[in-house]
Amino acid sequence: MGRELEPSRFFSESFLERSATYERFLQVDSLLGWIALLVALAIYARHGHRLMRESAAGRVGTGMLLGMLGFAVVWLTQVPFGLAAVWWQRRYDVSQQDYLEWALGSFLGLGSTFLFVSVALAIAMGLAGALRRWWWAVAAPLFAGIALLFTFLSPYLVPETEPLRERQLLADARALEREAGLSGTRLVVQDVHRYTEAPNAAAAGFGPTGTVILWDTMLGDAFPRAEVRVAIAHELAHLAHEDTLEWVVWLALFLLPATALIAWLTRSRGGLAQPEAVPLALLILVVLQLLVTPLFNLGSRQLEEAADRAALDATRDPAAGRALLRRLATTSLTDPDPPAWSQTLFAQHPTIMERIALSYEWEEERDRR
Amino acid sequence: MNEMNEKPIRLTVSDDLRRSRLTVFFRLLLAIPHLLWLALWSLAAFFAALANWVATLLLGRPPDPLHRFLSRFVRYATHVYAYVDLAADPFPGFAGKPGYPIDLEIDPPGRQNRWSVAFRLVLVVPALLLFAVLVFNYSPYEEEASGVSLLGVAAFLAWFSALARGRMPRGLRDLIAYAISYAAQLWAYLLLLTDRYPSSDPQTAIGPLPDRSDPVRLANDDDLRRSRLTVFFRLPLAIPHLVWLSLWSIVALLAAIANWVAILLTGVSPAPLHRFLAAYVRYQLQVGAYLYLVGNPFPGFTGAEDGYPLALGIAGPYRENRWTVLFRAVLAVPALLLASAFGAVLFTVAVLGWFASLATGRMPRGLRNAGALALRYLAQTYAYLFLVTGAYPYSGPCKSE
Repeated sequence: MGRELEPSRFFSESFLERSATYERFLQVDSLLGWIALLVALAIYARHGHRLMRESAAGRVGTGMLLGMLGFAVVWLTQVPFGLAAVWWQRRYDVSQQDYLEWALGSFLGLGSTFLFVSVALAIAMGLAGALRRWWWAVAAPLFAGIALLFTFLSPYLVPETEPLRERQLLADARALEREAGLSGTRLVVQDVHRYTEAPNAAAAGFGPTGTVILWDTMLGDAFPRAEVRVAIAHELAHLAHEDTLEWVVWLALFLLPATALIAWLTRSRGGLAQPEAVPLALLILVVLQLLVTPLFNLGSRQLEEAADRAALDATRDPAAGRALLRRLATTSLTDPDPPAWSQTLFAQHPTIMERIALSYEWEEERDRR
Repeated sequence: MNEMNEKPIRLTVSDDLRRSRLTVFFRLLLAIPHLLWLALWSLAAFFAALANWVATLLLGRPPDPLHRFLSRFVRYATHVYAYVDLAADPFPGFAGKPGYPIDLEIDPPGRQNRWSVAFRLVLVVPALLLFAVLVFNYSPYEEEASGVSLLGVAAFLAWFSALARGRMPRGLRDLIAYAISYAAQLWAYLLLLTDRYPSSDPQTAIGPLPDRSDPVRLANDDDLRRSRLTVFFRLPLAIPHLVWLSLWSIVALLAAIANWVAILLTGVSPAPLHRFLAAYVRYQLQVGAYLYLVGNPFPGFTGAEDGYPLALGIAGPYRENRWTVLFRAVLAVPALLLASAFGAVLFTVAVLGWFASLATGRMPRGLRNAGALALRYLAQTYAYLFLVTGAYPYSGPCKSE
């Protein structure tokens, strides 16, 4: 993306200032949240084993409890930062969610986290008990397999969805689907307008479960049809490129060294077969995850750029693409040209300005052809 | 025993369990004069209670005449409830005089903390929640009256039993007496006869309890201490257990059907099936104890006999009456009705216990013991239903559980 565009060509100065202020707070809030998370997990790694007295569940069960309590501690440390983010989003009218609703939803969401952690620890500790030092060699492919299964089934786990019923959009989507070389893709609308006004779309699943999910905030009169077409084309491109599968491959590549490192570093506590090692294993996992986040973000941005290109090829409507990006930025209060550090740490998409520049580049290439 | 004597409001039970079938059959109709009289007396008691509130706020203790009048009212209400709900047989007097088989002893008036008097209506709210599921036919968790209060279900079942046998089952009588005891304590607290908060402890509610040796029995070794961290996250922490229990339940149901066929053929539960189902019943109790804060440690996933403070002892298989096995699902219906009422009690115990444990790091003994009673009854019911035992669930409180 060589072309440099001036944001003020597309956005008012007041918007640029407002969106930059808005995002800066959320980025600092997230950074502080990360620091609090690391501190909490470091303390938990040191003292968490004391909570073993709260268990009568044997080796693996006690490990599961310590794993869940680790995430409980994480949740407690993240509550102030989450509430601050909700406050900020409400202040800028990006979200209508109230504090109690957020706290309750977040607390109840812990249930699925706990279940996931329990299953993961039951597998890892069970294997560590049987295979000792080499548990990770079996656990990593097994976890990747589970991730693959979840990715395959994920469209059916998204709550409050119903099939897309708008006839014209449906016809557009089917035409774009053929253009992308796909067939039988599920097109669903997720009901989110009670929580947010922000627009969004996503691709989930792969193969027979491939699904495009549109938030209902994009439908009705909110977005012109041409712009929704671009969004659908973008998500169909993800499915056509099998990006969801690529994510699982990346995860597998991360899991293999990560589990090996956990196995190695937890030897001082008797290895992961022992519940005492679980708090330390959590810390290692989270640190590794934070370290690879910029790398994962970079990969994600490349996939998004490829999907943008494919959407332009399919719709042949760069003006609609630009209009969509401008509207996405203004309704979500996204900074179109954020600083490089925040892009590296947080962004899974290219900046709005980079995406607009891409549409001009595509136009120029088309004209040259 | 000491704790019981220290209670300012004490329920005494001298009932001999014998019942007149004739009066049992017409019990509700026979009680109509008492219910009308109680309604009138309630009206007078309302104004007396207001006067008592003002006087106690001013004097720091209830005046003797008002205390006497309100004590008599609560005692009379206890007699009427005991008569209607079949905890006692004789037609009670209308004056609330002592001497009824289910009676109430109330200490003379004493000094009370004025703050607790001033805010009595607020302070009583948690006790009212428990009262709602124990005594009153209303579930605070549903919009309409559910009709599943423990007292209501117990009295309903007792009516059939007393009519058939001319005797009241001890378990049901004690359970009803326990609920009435809690109601009496609550009224006494609300009407300022005492400033002692109502105790929900079934171990001290009705005097000496039977020392039973049921095939399915509970030994409670919990020390009441609770970890605030695990209490706060108790519901999500229990989710892996709830998922595992759901999966186990499917297999247990199939095993119970196999057990049913095997016992019908041989008269005895095959040892492997019995072991499997006994472990399932134990596991269910341990998960319930953890979820509802009756126990503190995170339980194991295998339903092991040892290692959990609430230990469920289950006797080995023995020869059973094939007729009761054949009709087990039907015979279990009354127990399942009572079990559902106990379920509402457990939920309330958990809600109240959650706040108390978070605040103090300890589970109140009364709530813990009420929860243990409910869990033991549920365990006995499932053990009976799944043919782990032929002994019918015992509904009353027992010693040391």
